[in-house]
Amino acid sequence: MRLWSISLRNLRIRAVATTLTALAIVVATALYAAILLMAEQTKQRYEGSIGGFQAVVGPKDASQLEVVLNTIFHVGDSAGLIPLRVCNDLRNSRVGRRAQVHYAIPQARGDSVSHYNFPVVATLDEMFTLFQRGGAPLSFAQGGPFAFSYQELQELAEQLAAYETAQRTGSEPVPPRPLLRAEWKKCVIGARVQKKLGLQLGDVVTPVHGKMGEFGFHEHPEAACEVVGILAPTNSPIDATIFLPLGTHLLIDGHEEGVFVLEIPAGKNPDDARKLPARADQIALTAIVADPKDHFGAQFLRREFGTRPDAQVAWPQFEVPKFLRTMGSISDALEVVAWLVLFGAALSIAAVIYNTMNERRREIAIMRSLGARRGQVFAIIVLEAGLLSLFGAALGIVACHAAAFGFGEYVEDMTGVHLDWTQFAVWEIWLVFGVGAIGALAGVLPAVKGSTTQVADNLAQNY
Amino acid sequence: MIRLHNVQKSYRQGSRAVLACAVDHLEIAAGEQVALIGRSGTGKTTLLNILAGILRPDRGEVEVVGARIDQLSESARDRHRGQHIGMVFQTFNLLQPFTALENVLLGALFGRGAGGDAKERAAALLAKVGLGDRLHHRPGELSVGQVQRVAICRALINDPELVLMDEPLGNQDKTTGNQVLDLLLQLASEHGKTVVMVTHDPESAARMQRTVDLATLRGAEVLA
Repeated sequence: MRLWSISLRNLRIRAVATTLTALAIVVATALYAAILLMAEQTKQRYEGSIGGFQAVVGPKDASQLEVVLNTIFHVGDSAGLIPLRVCNDLRNSRVGRRAQVHYAIPQARGDSVSHYNFPVVATLDEMFTLFQRGGAPLSFAQGGPFAFSYQELQELAEQLAAYETAQRTGSEPVPPRPLLRAEWKKCVIGARVQKKLGLQLGDVVTPVHGKMGEFGFHEHPEAACEVVGILAPTNSPIDATIFLPLGTHLLIDGHEEGVFVLEIPAGKNPDDARKLPARADQIALTAIVADPKDHFGAQFLRREFGTRPDAQVAWPQFEVPKFLRTMGSISDALEVVAWLVLFGAALSIAAVIYNTMNERRREIAIMRSLGARRGQVFAIIVLEAGLLSLFGAALGIVACHAAAFGFGEYVEDMTGVHLDWTQFAVWEIWLVFGVGAIGALAGVLPAVKGSTTQVADNLAQNY
Repeated sequence: MIRLHNVQKSYRQGSRAVLACAVDHLEIAAGEQVALIGRSGTGKTTLLNILAGILRPDRGEVEVVGARIDQLSESARDRHRGQHIGMVFQTFNLLQPFTALENVLLGALFGRGAGGDAKERAAALLAKVGLGDRLHHRPGELSVGQVQRVAICRALINDPELVLMDEPLGNQDKTTGNQVLDLLLQLASEHGKTVVMVTHDPESAARMQRTVDLATLRGAEVLA
C-alpha cells in the first residue's frame, strides 16, 4: 500500500464528485489541445501548401496577401484580372529571360463544382508537367493530365480577339466565335474532390457559377468535363481543386464579358475603351504561377513588377508566415480563454476537495493516530487533486483526438484544414503533466486544511 | 517503558483554562499490563493521548519507549507513535473504504513501512485472530467482534513495544468483549508487549496486572 493508492481510493469512493470534476478538466484540456492542434495543423497546412508556388503574379489592385490566399488557398473571390501579356512577358520577353523563369503558368478561377464549392482552376497542361511541388510534378493516383498547351491558348486568344474586335467595332464580316472543342472538355480532380464526390475516371463534372441557393447561381452544362485524371493526395488546397483547360473557361457561356481585360488608354473613358479593338494579349487571367530560377531572378522580378502598372508579384514564402503570425495572435487569444477554463476547472477541484475536508476529519485523525505525519496527509490530498487532474487531462487529450476523428471531415469542409487525429505531439504529454501539476497546486489549500486537522478532538468524536 | 513526572494538560474554554489531566508521578515497566480507571472527566483519554504523543502536555516530563516525547516535535512524535505504539479505540476507528487487510496495512504504511513482507504479515496476523477468510471484507461487512479484531491486528502490525487501548470493550457485549480482551492479552503476553488500557469496567480492569486510579495520581499542588 502506498500514499497514492489511498488517494485513488478516496477518489473512487466519491465517484460522482470525482467524475464531475474530472469532466471539467477533460473539457478544459480538450479545448486547449484542440486549439493547439488546429493552430499547429493549420500552420503545417499553410506552410506545406506553398511548395511549388515560388512567385504568384496577380492583379495590382489587390494586396500581396490577397493574391497569395486567392491563388494558392482559393480564399475569397478573385481580386481582379491581369492580361495574358504579363504571362507572355514572363515566358518570352526580356523579363522572363532576365529572371530565368523556369515556368509561368496562367490560371483563371471563378467557377466551382458541387455544393462543396470545390474551386475550378482553369490552366494549362503545364500544371501537371512543369509545375513542381517538393521537387517533383504533381503525381496522379489514376489517369493523367488533360491536353491544353500554351500554343493552343495563344491560337484561341487570337481567334477570340478577332471575334471580339469585330463585335466592338462593327466591322464585317464577323468571324465565328470559336467553339468549345470536345478534347478540351476534360478535367483533373484533386484527391479530396474524388473522395467527397465519389468520382471515377470517365465521370462528368459540371462547373457552376455562384453558390447553390444564392442569387445568380447557374450551372454550365455546356462545359461539363470528363474526369481524365485524379491527383494523389497532397494535403494542400490542390486536393480540393478541379483543374480544367483554360480554353474551356474562356468559352463557357456567360464568360464573354470577362474574357478580355478592359484596358483604358490615357484620355479615354471605359465606354471608349469598349469600342477599341481587342488584342490577344488582353485575355484575362486571375494569376500566374511563376518560378524564377534563383534569388537574383526573384530580385529582378520584384524590381520589374514594382514599376509595372498591370500586375504585381507576391511571394508566398513571405506572405504566408505573415498571415500565420496574424492567425497566431487569434490562436493566442483562444489559448488564453482555454487557460481560463483550465483555471476554472482547477478552482472547482480545490472547491470539491476542500468541501470534503469536514467530513474527512475523522478519517484524517485516524491516519494521524496511526502515525501519519502532517506531510503525509498533505501529500495524500495533493496527490488526490493531482491524480484527478492527470486523469482528466489524459482523457481530455483522448477526447480532443476523438473529436478530430469525429469532426475532421466537417472541419475540413468548413476550413480546408485536414485534421490528422492520429498525429500526436510531444506538447500533449507536457500538457497532461502540466494540467496534473496545476491540479496538484489546486489541492494545496484543502491539503493545508486537512493536514492541520486536530487529531485528539476528532478521534473522540463518534460521528 | 513509561515514566510521567509532574504532567499537566489544560484546555481553554473561552477565557478560562480547564485542567484536563494531572499526573504527579507514574511509572509503568516494560511488559506490564495496566488498567487506567477513574470517573468521567478525570482525563483518562487525555492521558492516553499524551502517552501516544497526540497531545503535548503543558508541562512535565513524559518518557515513552525510551523517548522524551514531551520534547519531540510533532512530526517526531508522529513517527515515534507509528513505530513504537499501537492504538485500539472504543469506536474501532477502521477506515470504511478499505478492506480488513488494507486497514491493517495502513498501520504498517504509517509505522514501519508497508513494503517488503508487510502484506504477508498483515494476512498472517488476521488469520491468527480468525479472520483469514475475511481479508478482503470491508468493515461494514464484518461483525462488531470481527471489526475489533481487525483493529487489534492494526495495532500490532508494527510489532510495537506499547499498546494503548481506549475503552476497547465499550461497544461490545460482555462475551465478545471478554473474547477480544483475552485475545489481546494473549498476543501481548506472547510478544512481551506493554499494555495500557483505559476502562470503566472493573471486571476488565481486574484482569490486568495492575490498576491505576487517575484520581490518585493528582499531585498536591494540582489538587490545591
